[in-house]
Amino acid sequence: MPVNDPTGGEKPVRPWDPIVRGRATLDGLEYLAGGFGTAVLVLIALLGVIVSALACLVGVGLLVLPTALRVLRAIADRERARLSRWGPEIIAPEPLPSGLRAALKQPVTRRELAWALTHGSFGLVLGLIGITLPLYAARDITYPLWWHLMPPGETGGPGMGLLEVNGLPDTFVIAVMGLGWIVLTLLLVPVIPRLQAWPGRRLLAAGPGVDLALRVAQLTATRAAAVDAHAAELRRIERLLHDGTQNRIVAVTVMLGAARRAVARDPATAEAMLENAQGAAEQALAELRGVVRSILPPVLEDRSLSDALTGLAAASPVPCGIDADLPRRCAVSVEATAYFVVAEALNNVARHSGAGRATVTVRQRDSRLWLTIVDDGRGGAGERSGSGLAGIRHRTEAHDGTFALTSPPGGPTTLNVSLPCGL
Amino acid sequence: MRIVIAEDDPLLREGLALLLRAEALDVVATTADPDGFLEAVDTHRPDTAIVDVRMPPTHTDEGIRAAVEARRRQPGLAVLVLSAYVEQAFATELLAHGSARLGYMLKERVGRVQEFLTALHRVADGGTAIDPEVVAQLLTRTRPGNRLERLSPRERDVLSLMAEGLGNAAIAERLFVTDGAVHKHIRSIFAKLDLAPTDRTDRRVAAVLHYLESGARHSA
Repeated sequence: MPVNDPTGGEKPVRPWDPIVRGRATLDGLEYLAGGFGTAVLVLIALLGVIVSALACLVGVGLLVLPTALRVLRAIADRERARLSRWGPEIIAPEPLPSGLRAALKQPVTRRELAWALTHGSFGLVLGLIGITLPLYAARDITYPLWWHLMPPGETGGPGMGLLEVNGLPDTFVIAVMGLGWIVLTLLLVPVIPRLQAWPGRRLLAAGPGVDLALRVAQLTATRAAAVDAHAAELRRIERLLHDGTQNRIVAVTVMLGAARRAVARDPATAEAMLENAQGAAEQALAELRGVVRSILPPVLEDRSLSDALTGLAAASPVPCGIDADLPRRCAVSVEATAYFVVAEALNNVARHSGAGRATVTVRQRDSRLWLTIVDDGRGGAGERSGSGLAGIRHRTEAHDGTFALTSPPGGPTTLNVSLPCGL
Repeated sequence: MRIVIAEDDPLLREGLALLLRAEALDVVATTADPDGFLEAVDTHRPDTAIVDVRMPPTHTDEGIRAAVEARRRQPGLAVLVLSAYVEQAFATELLAHGSARLGYMLKERVGRVQEFLTALHRVADGGTAIDPEVVAQLLTRTRPGNRLERLSPRERDVLSLMAEGLGNAAIAERLFVTDGAVHKHIRSIFAKLDLAPTDRTDRRVAAVLHYLESGARHSA
């Protein structure tokens, strides 16, 4: 709704107002410096990719190339975040698939490589120009103050060697040139960042059509999985309440009814029935507590995910070590999912693997939560063997996470799950 | 009365058996699943069965199917089905082949021992016991424009109790009126709903329930 306020209306934009222009220039400098930083990084990463690609010819590169691509992805993500801060948001793509072939197949990877080439060259040069312009200006304007410190005959530097400085008056000519540099800075620096960002905005954004359609299809699928997982969870809770708590309370009413009938006739029987009723009521309470815990473990809310996982490990029949490094908290639903993934995985380890030891590693990287559960059991685990693995996959995918299981016969079994932190 | 109980929850199973035995009723077997129940029916030839709807393996409607199967094997077996919640579809499925010697009640009614025993005896004696909750659901589901609109409030009360399976005398007792008054109400109800009048309670329950169900459907 437009606000018709005669006094506080929007001021007209005056691009040549020195304050406005100065601020735009400072902003431009900041953007250029940031862009210069990522350009340097990406140049190094690009060299890494090229070297490891060349090393592929002798085989070693196959091991290094995925890492180089991952580094490139990390820098591209940094650039996406940077560009998103002062322009339209650039949505980060899916995490890189673990296989090299799959990673190279992704159009995103190829576009990132193209971006790395342009940003590592033109972007770098533009950043360099943008940053040196104000430096030239400062140097030339202040030249009259320090020209006498220069060794005699040294005429390079200021004036770009076009002028021979033979005395103080000449230095003022150079100072006037410095004013020229300032004008150039004010003219160019607010514009160059857009030029520098252009390849990033084109190439790092989601690709045209196909990419997004895939992503939409995937989101639709995971949303369906979310609804499924939700329904399964509700069914589980309904079952617990119905077959546990509700039955206990019905039993309480039955015993109480029977006790009331017996109270006059046979006080001893009535007493026994009342005791039964009390026992049933206590059971109902215990089960209710269990149900509540299973919906969202209170420790998750009160303490942290690491504490909750430590509790899980302590309760696991298979000795289990937790290695959690979580500087920040994630969204509650994500932590709850992580908790249940670990709970279900440890449950599986205890039931099927015959393992003597399990290790749970939790890390936070690229605003994702990475869970790794390893056991030294007999391996051969699969989603079809009636294990809880399908459930873990559904729960993970419902949160737009990834799920990978490697379990060769003979073990060890490794389960990798990653979840977006959602914050 | 020789009774077989099928209930998967051990506490409730034993509670029921305890309660019935304390009332000097003969509980000949207690079972925890449909197969065990059918076996017990074959072995003990009881005259009455009390069956939980949700039992292993799937915990959905095993009890209903077991009850129908038990009555196929032993016609005349009185079955009282207990359910933790009211599901009108279960009642319909159960009463598909007539309502004599059948009951469908909420589990928690068992705590009101006198009413539970009355219902149990009614079923064992060839009658019907439908939980008031089921009847209430059927009545609330009917929409305006239905013939039920023509009934007076008192006639609706009588209709509800009829649907639960109560006989004329029991209805009269509940509503504090004479038998004659109940008889008059019932005739009037049957006339207003275009139902063939009958005094046999089992047929009456079936007719009323059928009417309520189809009425609910037509107006839906």
